[in-house]
Amino acid sequence: MSKEPVAVVGIGQTRHVAARRDVSIAGLVREAAQRALGDAELTWADIDAVVIGKAPDFFEGVMMPELYLADALGAVGKPMLRVHTAGSVGGSTALVAANLVAARVHGTVLTLAFEKQSESNAMWGLSLPIPFQQPLLAGAGGFFAPHVRAYMRRSGAPDTIGALVAHKDRRNALKNPYAHLHEHDITLEKVVASPMLWDPIRYSETCPSSDGACAMVLTDRAGAARAPRPPAWLLGGAMRSEPTLFAGKDFVSPRAGQDCAADVYRQAGITDPRRDIDAAELYVPFSWYEPMWLENLGFAAEGEGWKLTESGVTELDGDLPVNMSGGVLSTNPIGASGMIRFAEAALQVRGQAGEHQVDGARRVLGHAYGGGSQFFSMWLVGAEPPDS
Amino acid sequence: MPEVLKAPLVVEFPFTRSLGPVQSAFLTGLRERVVLGVRTTDGRTLVPPVEYDPVTAEEIHDLVEVAPTGTVTTWAWNHAPRRGQPLTTPFAWVLVRLDGADTALLHVLDAPGPDAVRTGLRVRVRWAGERTGAITDIACFEPYDGDPARPGGHSGAFEDPLTGIVAPARLDYTYSPGRAQSAYIDALSARRTVGERCPSCRKVYVPPRGACPTCGVATAEQVEVGPRGTVTTFCIVNIKAKNLDIEVPYVYAHIALDGADLALHARIGGIPYDQVRMGLRVEPVWTEGARHPDHYRPTGEPDAAYETYKELL
Repeated sequence: MSKEPVAVVGIGQTRHVAARRDVSIAGLVREAAQRALGDAELTWADIDAVVIGKAPDFFEGVMMPELYLADALGAVGKPMLRVHTAGSVGGSTALVAANLVAARVHGTVLTLAFEKQSESNAMWGLSLPIPFQQPLLAGAGGFFAPHVRAYMRRSGAPDTIGALVAHKDRRNALKNPYAHLHEHDITLEKVVASPMLWDPIRYSETCPSSDGACAMVLTDRAGAARAPRPPAWLLGGAMRSEPTLFAGKDFVSPRAGQDCAADVYRQAGITDPRRDIDAAELYVPFSWYEPMWLENLGFAAEGEGWKLTESGVTELDGDLPVNMSGGVLSTNPIGASGMIRFAEAALQVRGQAGEHQVDGARRVLGHAYGGGSQFFSMWLVGAEPPDS
Repeated sequence: MPEVLKAPLVVEFPFTRSLGPVQSAFLTGLRERVVLGVRTTDGRTLVPPVEYDPVTAEEIHDLVEVAPTGTVTTWAWNHAPRRGQPLTTPFAWVLVRLDGADTALLHVLDAPGPDAVRTGLRVRVRWAGERTGAITDIACFEPYDGDPARPGGHSGAFEDPLTGIVAPARLDYTYSPGRAQSAYIDALSARRTVGERCPSCRKVYVPPRGACPTCGVATAEQVEVGPRGTVTTFCIVNIKAKNLDIEVPYVYAHIALDGADLALHARIGGIPYDQVRMGLRVEPVWTEGARHPDHYRPTGEPDAAYETYKELL
């Protein structure tokens, strides 16, 4: 028996900001969930199961969100699951929810991811003082910056590319009312002039620290037929993992990322992603990851990704827009960031992305990664149902 | 074989929490000696209050004051109180249904012994002398044989409400790095770097983990590597970390020690930060009494060719 087609019929986000002191974590997730239900014109009673994800527990000290948030998410008397995969969790959470619908376990599933970074401390959570070990000398940026330098060496990319990405994403964020950073006076010169934190990564080429939540309502064909607005259809979805460190690991273009993309493209019948996919929301927490992921995901040959960025192909009005929402560079509630990518991909094919809508977006990729570039989750969504 | 190492590891952090309207009123109420519940859609009163109706999932915010007296619905005796528990002498954990409430609140009862506690026992709140807006503003419950107290009819609106709390979390571990890393650390004390080779893929892991993460097999064959190595990639750190006493800027590098199949991470010194480059040949610099090399410095050899380390970035 073939899989049940899965449709996204409701999407809700909070307006992402540095600190939401007016609400509890329950209040924050509730806001996103209500907006997703409102978009789908459904009530709590229409939901069959709830699947949630969040950042690693040490980041914010909430160890059992499913226990604490069951009532806020209307999960009483229903199955509730939690998914863990570091920074990619928002993506893998959506995929677990989608699989429940595809397998016909449930008809309509609410999926949600969140983080209140203002009540958390990711830097502390990443640098616990393990006995006998040398303390980590650099934090998250210092962990990723050497890999960016390795990419620059390997590809021969000019050192201007990172700033171009940051400038583009921050301008895109100005068109997205839910984005955290709205830098109205942003210029390329300002990005280049911002302090060099972990050379080659500048301050303006890093992501902010945000409070936010994102929710989606996923449903089957019958649910999609009742939906008040056009659904986004899941054409392919996959997850892949690999160890943080191993001999032969390629941090610039991890094998798990390549394999994950290949699986998604196979499911969706994509043979040339550059031609067949209209736009992409990629998990880019540091600017240089845009060209790195463009290669890893097969949008460009190895060593050529930066040319797409440099020539304007990834601009909002380019041939392959990337991070139309402003991306992780403009909004980063870590636990939710992956789901925001997935949701923004769905908004595009539904034609609901507002000012940052790409005209004629029919097939859009949502991408998330996490840990030491070791967890990948992706989905490709389309305006038409699969096999139509 | 050297002894397997062990050491205490304490993980603690003062997380902050925004309360939202309902928890804000509840905790501010405790500070003002008022116990508040919330009314559900079907007319029950929940103490402690919640933000969302457990039956209908609707948002609820109709706050009602309940009495500081109530009835024990069940209990368990705690013979040996631990660090951080509400009382230092043996006490009963109790669920108390306060007069006017439909649900029970978890707290502690100060009683002389388990024989003095029973389900159905009447109790009242003993308020803490100093109250901050926390569940511990109720110091404990105590047996009470008077009439039920009358709730004051408080609306739940306070001047100067509490909006956030600090929730310290602490975990106490005994950490052991295991057999392979203990041997690695033991060798470091003689300033030797010893990794382990995978019997299947032949890769040399430094530090060793006792198993190959790719092949999933145990590793045992010890291989001394270094002491020299090659900088495969690096970044220049310009922001000072809170807990590190290192002057910025400094270079944080990946170094492939000669004979190792993956790079380890360390600081580069003995050369201006802006002259460090990929391929630079380096050696460890030790300081007296330190477990790990303090940093690595240039050896003066010619740089390694990119082809020799491009798989080790």
